[in-house]
Amino acid sequence: MDLRAGDSWGMLACLCTVLWHLPAVPALNRTGDPGPGPSIQKTYDLTRYLEHQLRSLAGTYLNYLGPPFNEPDFNPPRLGADTLPRATVNLEVWQSLNDKLRLTQNYEAYSHLLCYLRALNRQAATAELRRSLAHFCTSLQGLLGSIAGVMAALGYPLPQPLPGTELTWAPGPAHSDFLQKMDDFWLLKELQTWLWRSAKDFNRLKKKMQPPAAAVTLHLEAHGF
Amino acid sequence: MMDVSLCWRPPAWTVGEKRMRTAPTLRRLLSALTLLHVMVQVNSQKRGALRDLKCTTNNLQVWDCAWKAPLGAGHGTVNEVCIDDRLHSCYPLEKGNVKIPALPPGDHEVIVNYLHGFNGSSAKFILNEQNVSLIPNTPEILTLSADFSTSTLYLTWDDRSCAFAHHSKVTWEIKVLRTPRMELVNVVTYNTTLHGRDTVHYWRWTSDLPLQCATHYVGIRCYLDHLHFAGPKEWSAWSPLMNISWAPESEAKAFPQDKVVLVGSNITFCCVSQTKVLSGQIGKTFYPLIHLYGQNVAIHIQNISVSENSGTNVVFMIEDNVCGTVVFAGYPPDVPQKLNCETHDLKDIICNWNPGRPTGLVGPRNTNYTLLDSFSGKSVTFKRFETLTNESYQLLFQMPPHQEIYNLTLTARNPLGQSESAILVNITERVCPHTPTSLKVKDINSTVVTLSWHLPGNFARINLVCQIEIWKPNSKQELNITIKGVENSSYLVVVDKLNPYTTYTFRIRCSTEPFWKWSKWSSGKRHLTTEAIPSKGPDTWREWSSDGRNLIIYWKPLPISEANGKILSYNVSCSSHEEVQSMSEILDPQHRAELQLVKDDYIISVVAKNSAGPSPPSRIASMEIPNDDLTVEQAVGLGKKIRLTWPPDPNVTCDYVIKWCNSSRSEPCLMDWKKVPSNSTEAVIESDQFRPGVRYNFFLYGCRSQGYQLLRSIIGYIEELAPIVAPNFTVEDTSADSILVRWEDIPVEELRGFLRGYLFYFQKGERDTPKMRSLETGHSDIKVKNITDTSQKTLRIADLQGKTSYRLVLRAYTDGGLGPEKSMFVVTKENSVGLIIAILIPVAVAVIVGVVTSTLCYRKREWIKETFYPDIPNPENCKALQFQKSVCEGSNALKTLEMNPCTPNDVEVLETRSIIPKIEDTEIISPVAERPEEISEAEPENHVVVSYCPPIIEEEIANPAADDAGGASQVVYIDVQSMCQPQARPEDEQDIDPIVGAGYKPQMRLPINSAVEETAAENDADSTAGYRPQANVNTWNLVSPDSPRSTDSNSEIVSFGSPCSVNSRQFLIPPKDDDSPKSNGGAWSFTNFFQNKPND
Repeated sequence: MDLRAGDSWGMLACLCTVLWHLPAVPALNRTGDPGPGPSIQKTYDLTRYLEHQLRSLAGTYLNYLGPPFNEPDFNPPRLGADTLPRATVNLEVWQSLNDKLRLTQNYEAYSHLLCYLRALNRQAATAELRRSLAHFCTSLQGLLGSIAGVMAALGYPLPQPLPGTELTWAPGPAHSDFLQKMDDFWLLKELQTWLWRSAKDFNRLKKKMQPPAAAVTLHLEAHGF
Repeated sequence: MMDVSLCWRPPAWTVGEKRMRTAPTLRRLLSALTLLHVMVQVNSQKRGALRDLKCTTNNLQVWDCAWKAPLGAGHGTVNEVCIDDRLHSCYPLEKGNVKIPALPPGDHEVIVNYLHGFNGSSAKFILNEQNVSLIPNTPEILTLSADFSTSTLYLTWDDRSCAFAHHSKVTWEIKVLRTPRMELVNVVTYNTTLHGRDTVHYWRWTSDLPLQCATHYVGIRCYLDHLHFAGPKEWSAWSPLMNISWAPESEAKAFPQDKVVLVGSNITFCCVSQTKVLSGQIGKTFYPLIHLYGQNVAIHIQNISVSENSGTNVVFMIEDNVCGTVVFAGYPPDVPQKLNCETHDLKDIICNWNPGRPTGLVGPRNTNYTLLDSFSGKSVTFKRFETLTNESYQLLFQMPPHQEIYNLTLTARNPLGQSESAILVNITERVCPHTPTSLKVKDINSTVVTLSWHLPGNFARINLVCQIEIWKPNSKQELNITIKGVENSSYLVVVDKLNPYTTYTFRIRCSTEPFWKWSKWSSGKRHLTTEAIPSKGPDTWREWSSDGRNLIIYWKPLPISEANGKILSYNVSCSSHEEVQSMSEILDPQHRAELQLVKDDYIISVVAKNSAGPSPPSRIASMEIPNDDLTVEQAVGLGKKIRLTWPPDPNVTCDYVIKWCNSSRSEPCLMDWKKVPSNSTEAVIESDQFRPGVRYNFFLYGCRSQGYQLLRSIIGYIEELAPIVAPNFTVEDTSADSILVRWEDIPVEELRGFLRGYLFYFQKGERDTPKMRSLETGHSDIKVKNITDTSQKTLRIADLQGKTSYRLVLRAYTDGGLGPEKSMFVVTKENSVGLIIAILIPVAVAVIVGVVTSTLCYRKREWIKETFYPDIPNPENCKALQFQKSVCEGSNALKTLEMNPCTPNDVEVLETRSIIPKIEDTEIISPVAERPEEISEAEPENHVVVSYCPPIIEEEIANPAADDAGGASQVVYIDVQSMCQPQARPEDEQDIDPIVGAGYKPQMRLPINSAVEETAAENDADSTAGYRPQANVNTWNLVSPDSPRSTDSNSEIVSFGSPCSVNSRQFLIPPKDDDSPKSNGGAWSFTNFFQNKPND
């Protein structure tokens, strides 16, 4: 489409006008507290988006690590990646967790994973990889903020940051390149599992936090049958 | 070989006794030795010599001789060795060997005494230094250590074992063995020279197999090359082996770890594991496992290829685990290419280069570069983690003050090696200044400005050459200036010779002396210079008004180059010799003024004013000097120009003025004027306003002291065109043989050129003739007269015919072409004599012819009667008429009479068709179908099978009364659908030849075997089938007029092979004659119908 400069200015002016009048729109001008529902939904959406983004990043990064890391059936044992927060948990244990614990675990896990990712970004040897990693880090930082927002909305305190986390996650010189690659491989894997788990967590939380009016409606409909 | 002999002597004394009684026993000893010698000589054959005698030394001080006792020297024998030297010393023999202090060179006789109870025997041999071997002591390894990361063994030992032999050369041999089979993997020799001190020696060896993979053992021995020792020299014994081993960890591990190797090298990887290793791979490629010991395995890679960015992965898959390592295969850095160093500001040197061949190593193994100036000793380092583009390789080197010459060396290093490139530069000759910034323009006056700009850098020691580009509308100028460089980066130059009130765009770039590179152009700076007073007065002209009272002053606006600013107003004043009479100020857009003057002799002056001041006045005299002998001339231009020439006139003192205007305009008329110098004799007038085909008046004025005199008046066209109208003409007079025509002038605007003549055409022709021949075709009957005398307005055309219509055409023409034509028809008057003659002659001829004819006819009347009117026979004698009558009485149906053969046999009766009870297609209902029933009842035997009935015929049938009145009609047409109703008349169909009944049938209802079936039912079907495909050859044969069957008497009904399509709605009815076997009705066809119809 051929858009001239004048068109762009016109669209910008239109956008500004819309933004200016947004407060006047009744639907957006609610004075009542909407509750944590919208922020949970946003966090959930962000999680799904990050899942999508990770798929692309993992492809690029595993190719960078080279074979056999980028082979689909490569499934090595977890070597040297013990410091990574594990996302896998027994179903019963998971069900026994309360919302606060779940959110706290999510928050802590992503804090750690983010530190690790940033260290990864510093080591990446190609500019393209650095861009991808930086972009993903920014998104993950956004997810952390969103989880913090949900926790604040629910009245849960944020977990205290671990002292010297950054240093702990920086790659040590004693680490061999191979173990480093294994760590990277497992980082991506854990990230993926965490994002799955988080999506499940937020979905559960979202359903739980739905306004009671919806429940009444559902009830009436059931009677109708 | 030593000369060895054995003597037997009686055992008489011990060593102690011998020493105590040396003098008395010496004689006896000598005699005994002599005896022993003799006995040895005698008994040697029977008792045997010393066996395996070997003498060695390890320090050159003591010789150690050993042998096996001779046969007969039993156990418990007490031995003694005596050397037959001047001291005659004897040494006890211990365990089969004896240590003797080193003997001087030369042969020494050695006697070995065996004391056996009271009996004794002795052996003798000759001992020489040449028979003694030098075997150094076994060396000792001090330390053996390993660097596992580099797979290097470090060995230390000292030369204590050989320390006695000063300045002698020692060769050390070191062997390395490896488990599991203690295979020898390396043996090296190492030469040293002894210096008399205990020197520690070092040796280093790098293993191709990582040291972690297997236990390595090291042993050492030496060989002493003593110059002054005459005897043979031998290797020492091997030192005890020392080993290096890796304490395996609980987890499997692969070695070497993170190694950087050269592309193409061979390398071995191993996995130290407690459990079984299943496979080993590099990248995607699996390699065969080499089993070391235990579960340890190795893989060997030859000619390794360059690694990817993150290195090449070496992975060993273990049963429930994995171990791996990464190898980085790459190249040492290439020599940096195109190293180039320059400076932008004489503060920093920027060196850039091309790294050359990629090393294949990135990240921490990426090449780092060090730029070192050997004069100042300063260096800077370039280290990047990621891969870079070639343009990114540059280093900034801060210049030490006052240093101009630099010897710069760029060294590239990576784990595989290093390379370097050097450059020697005088940096003041390598200056590429930054882009000048902050360009400012300041006015000094209307033609001079100052330019100032900022050029970062300290150029105090050199000169700058700057190029200033000055743009003004439609032109560009470049100025090169040389300025001394300054420290504070600010520069200022003056630019002069500019035009006032002109918009300039300045931009600048700089280089240095000597030239190296231009900087980039600064951004352009627009500047409008200030106004100056107009440089000239406006170009002025004056015209007297038509009444001669007012003088109109015209002037042209000043061109921008002369206005030097925005003209605000004009001052117009007129002065006579006495005083300035009037003055008026005219604001700018107006360029004329009208002055009311009482006299005609004034000097008018016009001054243009802008904000800077008034221009010099333009003066013009108002007086117009009359000219009596003025003629009007013609001129034609070319393109948009017209050239006017005139003879030189010495009376013209100031200048010539040519003014022009459109001739159609009223006076005073002025389009424009042009002034040319008084010495000119021609002028080329050019104007965008000129249009072709328009007449302009040009007036040439000469300027004299008193005023202007009109010298010439010229009418002209820029380009002549053809007239756009034809001249109006009328016929003044007409006679029987001539016409007088008169025409009018064409108006100047429509003439569009100088009139060159008229063309007059005339030809015979009527007004209503549809096509008049074109005038240009040059037919002989068109006559043309070319009238070149443009003043002629009448023309008489003679020699015309009387009472004849003529077409007259008149066209005007110019040099631009022929104009349109105007035509008129004129009839000449009648010529009365000719008319009378024309009437009388035909009348006379007609009378004469009539009289002659009558006379002839009268005389030949008998012959004419017999020829043209013979006797006619009586028709009542013809029998045919009687037959016809009887037949006609029996039937009220249609009948006909064939007139040609006047015999009863030739009379044919044509049958009408029966009534069809059912009409399927209402669209094609024939009127015949509704005919009265008596027609079908009257002739039930008449069958109509197929027919073709054009509607025009149906109309005739629809009116049976008319047919009856007609007496005989040969053909009747019915609707095709009407006849296809066999079920209405089953009894008739019994007689119908099925083949004949086929006729034409619609294809959609036609049975395939219709032509050969013979049953009535099938006939029915065939009859109803209607349209028969044309391909039914049998049917066609039947209907052919030439077919034998068509004339067969048994063929009652003949169908027609009329080539109707399925869309045809009507068939031709066949004439049926059951009685006549030679019915020509059988020969009916589509074509016959048309042939017979006129016979109706």
